[in-house]
Order: sequence, then structure tokens, then C-alpha cells
Amino acid sequence: MTARVGIVLVSHSASLAEGAAELAGQVGGGTVTIATAGGTDDGRLGTSIDKVASAIRRADAGAGVVILPDLGSSVLTVRTLLADDPGDLPGQVAVADAPFVEGAVAAVVTAAAGGSLKAVLEAAQEARHARKL
Amino acid sequence: MPENCEATITLTGDLHARPAGALSVAAARFSSAVQLAVAGGQADAKSVLAVMQLGASSGQQVTVRAVGPDARNAVEALIGILSTVTRVGD
Repeated sequence: MTARVGIVLVSHSASLAEGAAELAGQVGGGTVTIATAGGTDDGRLGTSIDKVASAIRRADAGAGVVILPDLGSSVLTVRTLLADDPGDLPGQVAVADAPFVEGAVAAVVTAAAGGSLKAVLEAAQEARHARKL
Repeated sequence: MPENCEATITLTGDLHARPAGALSVAAARFSSAVQLAVAGGQADAKSVLAVMQLGASSGQQVTVRAVGPDARNAVEALIGILSTVTRVGD
């Protein structure tokens, strides 16, 4: 089986990131690596550049990583990390402009089906248009 | 040569998040376009959010339609998954 695209969920809250990972993992059937980066290094609400970097490394299986940030400063943390480029991150990393839960579910399902980095990113971003009612 | 294939099944459980995920993962493996249709709506089977939004429930008929080179296999695979949807769990 070829490598799946990995997913990174970045949230201000560790429990939100873990809960979204649990839900998306179950819907996707459990074959995709989902790594979380939730909260600050000392366990408060916020984001941690080290946690994001670590999650990206854990999620990569060779097919690239799609990152889903939850709210504004998560995006900033991800962008700062990618702009600084520590040099030991996987080569193919994309940030999804998508709703957190819906985007995570759509991305994981597409990754589970063996979708490319581009396909997984697009699935996450199409979640912006998904209606609930 | 593209095939055109469809089949209908009556659900014995609600199409919740987990079966919707299984359905979309399976559908995405086929190159054919695959649609699900229920009374009142239709969805691209490859889009899990669209499938969940259908809100298909126990007792409803679901039609799987596929167009493409592997349409027959796609319909068989999806009908197979839909037949395992039960009342229990989500």
C-alpha cells in the first residue's frame, strides 16, 4: 500500500485537537496518521510552534502533510514555522483554508482513499461550502 | 468504454458519520463518477460531507449511480457498504 497523506490538526485547545482527530479518524476508518498540536507548551490555551513542528514530523509518511489550523493565531503559528523553515520538515506541506471539523473529516476521508496532497487539500477546502441543513 | 450502472437499496439503519466515511473512502477508489440519490436529494458519493448532509435514514431507499470505466464495480462496492448499515451506533 502506498503512503497516505498525513494530517495535522492545530488548535488553541489540546482537547479540541484530540477530539477532532478522534472523530475524523473514526469517520476515515483509522488508516490515516493524524497528529495534533493543541495548546501551549505549558498546557494552556494557545499554540506552540514546537508542537506544530513535532506534529508535522509525526504525520509525514512520505506523501506529504496537510495542516488544518483552527483560528487566527493557529494560522500565524503555522505560517511562522513554515516561513522560518527549520530545515528538517517534510518537503510537501500545505495549509488548508477550511473549517476545522468539517475540513478534518473531509481531508482524512480523502487521504484514506489514497488521495494526493492536492486532492486532500482540495477536499478540506471544499468543506467551506458544505451545508449542515 | 464508459459504463452506466445503478442499483437501489433500502437502508436498514441511518447513514451516520462512520458509514458515510466508509462509503466515501470506497467511492474515491473508483475512477467513475458516483452519485447517491434519496428522496429529496443527491450527493457526490466521494464527498463525505455531502453524503452526511443527505441525512439518509433507516427505511429510506438509496440509489447508487455510477458512470465511468469501473461503474459496475463501484455500484457493487457501495451497495455492499450500504447493506451493512445497521440501526446500532453511528
